[in-house]
Amino acid sequence: MADFDYMKIVYAALTIFLTINYGLILQGIIGKIYARVGKRMGIRIFQPYVNLIRQWATRTSISHGVMYYLGPVFRFSGGAGILIFLPIIYGAPIFSSFSFAGDLVLISYFMFLGTLGMALGGGESGHPYAALGVSRGLSQVTMAEIPMIMAVYSIAVQYHSLNITEIVAAQQGSFLNWTLFTNPIATAAAMLAFLGSMMRSPFDVVLAPQEIPIGPPTEYQSQFLAMLMTNRTIFPVAKTILFVNFFFGGVALYDNYLLTFLVFFLKTFLVYMWSVFVGLSFPRFRVDHSIRWFLKYPMLIGLISIIFVNIRY
Amino acid sequence: MVEPIYLIVIALGAAFLLGLLRKTGSALQIALTLAALAGMVFISAQWAYGIIKGTTQAAEIFTSGMNPPLSINLFMGRSEAVLLLLVNSAAFLSTMYLGREHKKTSVYMLMLLLVFVVGLNGIILTRDLFNLFVFIEIVSIASAGLIALRSDIRQLGAGFKFIIAGALASGFMLIGIIFTYYATGSLNIDVITGMMSPALASAGYIGLFLVFIGIMIELKPFPVNGWGIDAYQASIPPVSALVAAGTATAMFYAFTKITAMTGGIFLNASMYIGALTFVGMNVVALKQTAARRLLGYSSISQVGLLVLVFSLVKIFGIAGGELIVFGLLVSHALAKAVLFWLSGIIGKESINDWGIIRKRNILIVAFAVAVGALLALPPFPSFFAKWELITSLAVKGQYGWIAVILGGALLEAVYLMRWFGNAVKDSFNEEDNLDFRFGTLVPVITGTAALLALGYFSANLSVFENNINWLLPAVVIVLLLLDFLPAIVKNILLIAAIAWYGYPLLQAIEGYRSIFAAIFVIGAVITLLPGFMNKGRRPGFYPAVSMMFAGLVGIIEATDMLTFFFFWELMTLGSYFLILRGKKSKPHALSYMLFSLGGAYLLMTGFSMSFAEAGGTSIALDILKTVSGSSLSGIITILLAVGFMTKTASAGLHIWLPGAHAEAEGDVSPMVSGILLKAGVFGLLMTFIALGDQSIGKINIPYVLSWIGVITALTANYMAAMQEDAKRLLAYSSIAQMGYALFGISLMSHLGWLSALSLAIVHFTYKVILFLSVAGVVHRVKTRNMYQMGGLITRMPVTFFMVLVSIIALSGIPPLAGFSGRWLTYNAVIEKGWLLQGVVAGVSGLIAFLYLFRLIFAIFLGQLKDVHRRVKEAPFWILLPQILLILLVLYLSFFPGAFLRPIGDIVSEFHPEGALVWNGATAVSEFGYWNGEAVMWVFIALFAANFALLFFLNRGAQKIKQFNIVYAAERPARPETTHFAYNMFAPYRKALGFLEYPITTKFWSGVADLMHSIAGFTRRIYTGNGQTYLLQIIVFVVISFLLSNGGK
Amino acid sequence: MIGTIAVSTGSLLVLVGLWSALTNRDIIRMIVGFTIFDVGIHLIMISVGYISGGTAPIISNLSDIGVSYVDPVPQALVLTAIVIGLGITAFMLTYAVNMYEKKGTLEIDKFEELKW
Repeated sequence: MADFDYMKIVYAALTIFLTINYGLILQGIIGKIYARVGKRMGIRIFQPYVNLIRQWATRTSISHGVMYYLGPVFRFSGGAGILIFLPIIYGAPIFSSFSFAGDLVLISYFMFLGTLGMALGGGESGHPYAALGVSRGLSQVTMAEIPMIMAVYSIAVQYHSLNITEIVAAQQGSFLNWTLFTNPIATAAAMLAFLGSMMRSPFDVVLAPQEIPIGPPTEYQSQFLAMLMTNRTIFPVAKTILFVNFFFGGVALYDNYLLTFLVFFLKTFLVYMWSVFVGLSFPRFRVDHSIRWFLKYPMLIGLISIIFVNIRY
Repeated sequence: MVEPIYLIVIALGAAFLLGLLRKTGSALQIALTLAALAGMVFISAQWAYGIIKGTTQAAEIFTSGMNPPLSINLFMGRSEAVLLLLVNSAAFLSTMYLGREHKKTSVYMLMLLLVFVVGLNGIILTRDLFNLFVFIEIVSIASAGLIALRSDIRQLGAGFKFIIAGALASGFMLIGIIFTYYATGSLNIDVITGMMSPALASAGYIGLFLVFIGIMIELKPFPVNGWGIDAYQASIPPVSALVAAGTATAMFYAFTKITAMTGGIFLNASMYIGALTFVGMNVVALKQTAARRLLGYSSISQVGLLVLVFSLVKIFGIAGGELIVFGLLVSHALAKAVLFWLSGIIGKESINDWGIIRKRNILIVAFAVAVGALLALPPFPSFFAKWELITSLAVKGQYGWIAVILGGALLEAVYLMRWFGNAVKDSFNEEDNLDFRFGTLVPVITGTAALLALGYFSANLSVFENNINWLLPAVVIVLLLLDFLPAIVKNILLIAAIAWYGYPLLQAIEGYRSIFAAIFVIGAVITLLPGFMNKGRRPGFYPAVSMMFAGLVGIIEATDMLTFFFFWELMTLGSYFLILRGKKSKPHALSYMLFSLGGAYLLMTGFSMSFAEAGGTSIALDILKTVSGSSLSGIITILLAVGFMTKTASAGLHIWLPGAHAEAEGDVSPMVSGILLKAGVFGLLMTFIALGDQSIGKINIPYVLSWIGVITALTANYMAAMQEDAKRLLAYSSIAQMGYALFGISLMSHLGWLSALSLAIVHFTYKVILFLSVAGVVHRVKTRNMYQMGGLITRMPVTFFMVLVSIIALSGIPPLAGFSGRWLTYNAVIEKGWLLQGVVAGVSGLIAFLYLFRLIFAIFLGQLKDVHRRVKEAPFWILLPQILLILLVLYLSFFPGAFLRPIGDIVSEFHPEGALVWNGATAVSEFGYWNGEAVMWVFIALFAANFALLFFLNRGAQKIKQFNIVYAAERPARPETTHFAYNMFAPYRKALGFLEYPITTKFWSGVADLMHSIAGFTRRIYTGNGQTYLLQIIVFVVISFLLSNGGK
Repeated sequence: MIGTIAVSTGSLLVLVGLWSALTNRDIIRMIVGFTIFDVGIHLIMISVGYISGGTAPIISNLSDIGVSYVDPVPQALVLTAIVIGLGITAFMLTYAVNMYEKKGTLEIDKFEELKW
């Protein structure tokens, strides 16, 4: 570690800070959209800021035990880890500070660290709904990830690489080079998998125990909850960035920083909106329904994409 | 050198003398008989020793002062001497056993016995056809008398059937003899042999045929042997022992003489009759529960095997056939005698009542040795004989016969192992007594010891050079003899022995073997540590465990196929005994043994095939390489791969594993799951290193295996998620992990093998930890059902930490060591292009999260039960090995390069292309890169920062009580109703329950049911009616005549 | 001629003996069948060594040398065979007595305690 550039730590912190802000704004906007579709006024755009700061400011003197304590720590470490392992903006070392640590396989698996920690933390609270939610979530994610794995294999073969930076590099030049156009089937499969992991309708039965005023969020109060909320802010963004990198050409560094950020916002927002759009349009699945659903069209599409690249490359 | 004629003289003299001593005490009578028999043993031993050593020449003995053919002559050669020694020793020991019985009957029993022995000696010695007939009649009459010693109704019925069947057979023989004499003008076997060259007149042919078929009937061929089985069952055990060891041996020898005399014209007939008997008797035996009748079935089937093997040896001119036939013959005779003697000591009719054998441990040992010898397991003579037989048949291209012999042997294993399992596990009535005394014990021990000793000698007699390291089995014997010591002492001894032997081994061994040697040796020491918890003697554990580890070390060291196979079977046997020790493991141990034996037979066939293919000169393991280009290489690959896959429990061959690993004792499960399974991986690797990427036609074998591997992983992970029993969950998890290993090997590339080998190491670490953790928990809470646990994190924090680290490692989540396997697999899959398999492997990895979460949550998190409030942390000796291994896991996680680099160097030897490039701590493949150390540091930094933050902010937080949770308007009633753990993944089951449909179990139990119904149907030919048996014999003779004549 | 008759008679007796051993359920009758079977075999044995017009194979003075006599070996064998046959028959009868004492019947199909 002799040649380690310690500035990277600063860059990483910056990345996390910016993403939190972006995520909070995004949350506000999405909340507003949701409300308007439901013909309500909705929250103020900056309400998530208020919520988060308020939550960080409150204190609790309650703990359910060691694992309970570590749950949010695992969760946020996982979320932040993905963010800094990701090359966020192609060509900008500041925003891909630790991407030297591993390729897309690392990121795919690192995602589960937070989930696992959270599951264990909630588990120690002793609340049955925590375990219920985890069991539903795990059940769903195993099947939702099938098309995703297929899509990942598909594009890895297509670009002959597991290196995200290389994958983004290969999509530069024209928007016709995006995976969306060069490998639309894989993109379709992945975007269906995306729905399954965004915790929005129709795949949000995982959250059901939290909607009635019991369950993990009530067991985790104040700063515990604040840490979880912070993670909830950055995690979907990180995931969206990953998808943008894979399928929508990534975000390249333009001479004009403002333009770069504009492209970044636009792309991530639109990808994010895909889940919002679907979520607003469809009612909720039960877990066994969603499992079966993922085993039908998404898997079929994924299969076609695999066969496609097997023949083509 | 005492003249052989004295064999007859002594016995007859003693018999007459007994007649004079009718009125004296029984002690004198029995002493006289024993003295006579001891004299006969001495004479035969003297001859056997002399002839084998070469100090004595084989001798012919003439009677009545004239040379043959005018007079009867006897011949004492090497075979005769050895067989006489066997027969007379069996007679001596059985008489010893009879000691008490004699008081109940009379002196006539002893006289009958002596006459019987005279007959046996005569049959073996004589070279005269008619004289042979006379001796056979003597044996028949004497045995008919001995069968009905107690004159109970069953004995009388059996004896009468025996005598009428014998009369019929001897009638045929007599006609045959006279026709032979008519055609050849001689009764001397050697003279007749010389006259076989000119075409025989039809009278001569019929004569020889009748002689042949008469002898065959005496050997009790299937299906016309109901009378013989009845005799075995009805006689008192020492007589049955004598019949099995003596009569069968002598009659078989007579058969060989007649075969020589007829110039081999009936060899085809005897081959088919032998095969039919061997297989047929083993099939009908499946349904049998009466112990001695079962032994009768088994005896007759073994004689059938001998006839078959002898015929094959003669027909195909197999060199070294003597060792094959003698190895099988001696093993069978001794083993069967031991079993019959045991049946007398036990005194129970049904094989389900043999649990009483556990009253005396030495009897279990004898039982195990006898069963092992019958099944041709190492180190018995039959093992070496079978090896030579199968290899020789392979050289001759007789794969059909290999299939018949091994298939029949597998059937025999079914009922013998089932019986053994019952004896070791079934309950018994404490008040029942064994007939356990000096007179019964000495024969059993002598027979057992002889089998072991002869095994050692027959290894040297083998025509194959082998490098069997007898030190390893010797450890087992030593521990067996030291079994009276406390467990702690034996544990120290065994650990010391392994360390003493293993340390130089680990330094000396190189290449991919070193990885497995490390797992086996280090694993052995670590998993033996919990053994210190045992305060008592732990009888039987140490011989078994040392046998398993001896086998594991042996296969690493082996350089030739015979040695490899020897230790492979030794390891199987040891692990079977270990698994059988579990409380409810009886059926699982049985299926483990049967699958393992089936697999071993496939290995044997594969080895033999490559031996034959490589020219039939060398059995070095290296010749596997030389056959990789031959036309049979594909089949050899399949045989070996499937054989090894029975050990790794791949889908379809896995049904034994969940039960076997779950029901095993707490510290045995980590041994069999964490260590033993790697033997299969080792074997697979060995196969593919030597044979490479093989195809049959257009089907690529590794491609097929890759699918089997990932389907194993998928289904086993799903099954693991559905278990309520923690150990079953872990067992299924092991199946799945071995599926990944198989998949990795099947990729046949650098990265694939690197992933398989690194998986072998990390799976060893975390699976041993997990099984030990669960063992610790089960030790404390006394249940294996996870939903009955919960909240144990506060009671067993250390164990919780072990499980936490292990499941993260197992799940493949970075930063822990398991991730390396995932990363390598992705790279290898893309390199190979087997994307669909890669997808299935990936999905099954996700399903693994289900069971891992279930495991840790249901046991340690959630609600603590009231009964567990005072549960203590797991005992020190269970924790210690976990702590040692967790340090290893953490080390490997921090520095993945520390093991991936050396393994990569090893793999480069076989797959140099596609190796990882190490750029500092970063591993770079063709597609991606990964820096394990950086990931670890990032994780630690983030974790520490977050933890510090939270800890600072929440410094006042206190632990609250269990039920202080927000629970709507209600209050949780009890921990039991609040702990969400039973049927945890119900929706999953609802959606994917079809995966649970037990296709494999149904298939195998269907096979078992089919075999048993065939057995139940076929054995109805044994109606019990003497006349039916007579009719069967006549029909058999007619059919045989028509078939053999038609074949002429 | 005599030889042919003897062989035919012997064979016939063998068949008759077998037939009666197979068809009579009574143990004593079965034993009788076996005896007939034995006698048949003995007859066949003697006839094999018979030479038409031959004398007894006893050489009492030198002038007997060269005279055609029947083969002595089968005659010797048949003596042994008769003895053995007698022994077996006696044994069977002993069994029959014992079996009758134990069970009060001589029907062969009443002695099926052991089967399968």
